[in-house]
Amino acid sequence: MANEKILIIDDDDDLVHTLRLPLEAAGYIVSRAASGAEGLEKVKTVDPDLIILDVMMDSTTEGFHVSLTLRSPDPSSEYKAYSQIPILMLTSIHTTTTLRFGPDQNYLPVDAFIEKPIDPAELLKKVREYVNK
Amino acid sequence: MKNLHRARAELVEQELVYSVARFITMRWLAGLGVFAAAWFLGSVIRVPSPVAPLYLIGVVILAYNAVFYFVLRRILRLNRSNTSMFRRLTELQIGLDWMAMTALIHFSGGAESPALFYFFFHIIISAILLSPAATFVSAAAAALLVGATVLLEYTGSLPHVSMFAGPSLYDRPFSVMGVMILFVSALFVSAYLASTISSRLRQREVEALELSRNLQRAYDRIQTLYDSAQTINSTLELQKVLDRIVRRTAGAMNVQACSIRLLDETGTKLLVAATHGLSEAYVRKGDLILAQNPLARQVLANVVIGIPDVRTDERLQYPADALAEGIRSMLSAPLMGKKGPLGLIRAYSADVDHFTDDDVSFLAAMASQGSIAIENAMAYRALGQLDEMKSKFILTVTHELRSPMSVIRSLLRTMVAGYTGALPDSQKDMVKRALRRADFLQTLIDDLLDLAAGKNEMRLKEQRGPVRLDEIVRQVVERHDTEAGEKQLVLEYRLLTADPVTIIATAEGIDRIFNNLVSNAVKYTPGGGSVSVVLDTENGVARVEVRDTGIGIPEDSLNHLYEEFYRAPNAKAQVKEGTGLGLSITKELVLRFGGQIAVQSTVGQGTSFIVTLPSAETRAA
Repeated sequence: MANEKILIIDDDDDLVHTLRLPLEAAGYIVSRAASGAEGLEKVKTVDPDLIILDVMMDSTTEGFHVSLTLRSPDPSSEYKAYSQIPILMLTSIHTTTTLRFGPDQNYLPVDAFIEKPIDPAELLKKVREYVNK
Repeated sequence: MKNLHRARAELVEQELVYSVARFITMRWLAGLGVFAAAWFLGSVIRVPSPVAPLYLIGVVILAYNAVFYFVLRRILRLNRSNTSMFRRLTELQIGLDWMAMTALIHFSGGAESPALFYFFFHIIISAILLSPAATFVSAAAAALLVGATVLLEYTGSLPHVSMFAGPSLYDRPFSVMGVMILFVSALFVSAYLASTISSRLRQREVEALELSRNLQRAYDRIQTLYDSAQTINSTLELQKVLDRIVRRTAGAMNVQACSIRLLDETGTKLLVAATHGLSEAYVRKGDLILAQNPLARQVLANVVIGIPDVRTDERLQYPADALAEGIRSMLSAPLMGKKGPLGLIRAYSADVDHFTDDDVSFLAAMASQGSIAIENAMAYRALGQLDEMKSKFILTVTHELRSPMSVIRSLLRTMVAGYTGALPDSQKDMVKRALRRADFLQTLIDDLLDLAAGKNEMRLKEQRGPVRLDEIVRQVVERHDTEAGEKQLVLEYRLLTADPVTIIATAEGIDRIFNNLVSNAVKYTPGGGSVSVVLDTENGVARVEVRDTGIGIPEDSLNHLYEEFYRAPNAKAQVKEGTGLGLSITKELVLRFGGQIAVQSTVGQGTSFIVTLPSAETRAA
């Protein structure tokens, strides 16, 4: 088992719990940040292979800001080294289709969505698409 | 009363103009008549007296008539409204006619002349055109002229022209005296009768005019009330309603200004809500404090109150400001709502004692009509605020209710999946039951919120735009892959067109429509069956068919399918949890996006839902 690192940025302890259990069972090393600011700090210290990011934390769009900061096209960005880390965004069912995302910077710079409620099998399937296991 | 005098003057003036023209026309005939008579006397009867003077008189009459004719045309072209000019012209005509008539009488036999009777015409003309006094003066002038002529002829100072053979009337002094007395008295009696009748007729004409003006004004006001009802009620925006009321009221009452003041929330003062014709300074002079304003209190107690003279009335709170604004009298009417006074409407006039009883009833009518419109607009505004609160509430609830539910379901799923350690079957069964109930609760919350949002038309404000129908349907189908797999169903998506299918809608709405249909199909199709979703386009219409080999819908239930909370009996038997809201939401959404939904079903064989939606190109065209 490789030791790929996954950083979960989410303020909901219970939800983090449901994410952590299957991921750790599958052999990933899971870290957690309870806010967007803490998440941005931990990206530097942990240097994860994948980030799972919630949208609504302290503010309703905090997750969007985190993803935009990480993927900032600014050459002097302090997150330049981390801009290639895949991001999975946690959203509610039905809202997925209203969010636009993709490689274009005008859209939300995330790689995929995970719909709540979390289904462990779906979660692992999505994660494996972005982290070689 | 000023208006009435003017109306009367106008009437007399019109009459003068028409009459002068008419008399000129008649005088042509009179002149020609004199000619004809001269010819008849000289050539047919061959009277002994000379007829040349008669011809001359005819020529003179025609000549001055021609002058009058051109003068009148000139006056009419220059200035129509100069009454004194017409009056002078009339007097001049009568004077010249008198001369001509007198000459005619002299040359046709004096007291013997049959032309004597023609003097009466001029008495009647004077009575119609001039005042009674002037008519009597005319009569006196006629009597004097004829009397003098006859006297001169009688005394021999003037030669007597004897028209016909035989003894002369002048040989019998009493006969001459009798003719003259009767002639003169007849002149004055005619003058009296004609001028009395004429002035009575004129009086009635003026009265009729006044009456018709009053009627016209009453009609105008009714029309204004009716129009106001139309325009005032054509908007629900409070400010527009108020502005229209004050503008229309000022216009219809023909007054300087009009204002509406509404009670504030505390009910202790009246704030200016709309004005027409008042200066900024006057509007800003201050609020009407009810405690200091007995007049406003009285009006709000549902009485229309007039202030006939601002200078002397002590009930006003700001008399000096009103005077400075040029306001001399006011009329205030209450705006009464269903639950009490709303405020007052006030009309302002620059004249002292301007307002009549008619004005009082008109303002009261405007006020009661305005009150309804104002109350409607207020209710509408309150509704709008409620709607806003509701949408905020829905947004909050969406987050606060949905989030914990989805976390509960996530936790339970993790447990069922065994990540918390292997569960004994009995416990696993319990957790699964809990999960099923939680799933149902989530659906119920989602549906109720959707329904609440839909019912309030909140979504009309949502951003519609071009969305990819083919992509959304694909995502929906993929979302159900796992569940279909677990039930061993074949779930397939077939796209029968190569081009992208774009429609005008919201992605969330379209997702909801097909998520409901596909999840129903998967839910009500027994294991081993199949669910197919087929998307095709034809003539600018996108058609999506969701077909399953499920339990089907009984014929009785087809009519109730889209009713809120309705569930077909066989569906209830198959799946206990269900809100009965899914299809009603689905239908509402389809209709909202300009589409249609149809269903075909056979119990035990399967169901097919067909949704058609106009494509973006069709909509643009």
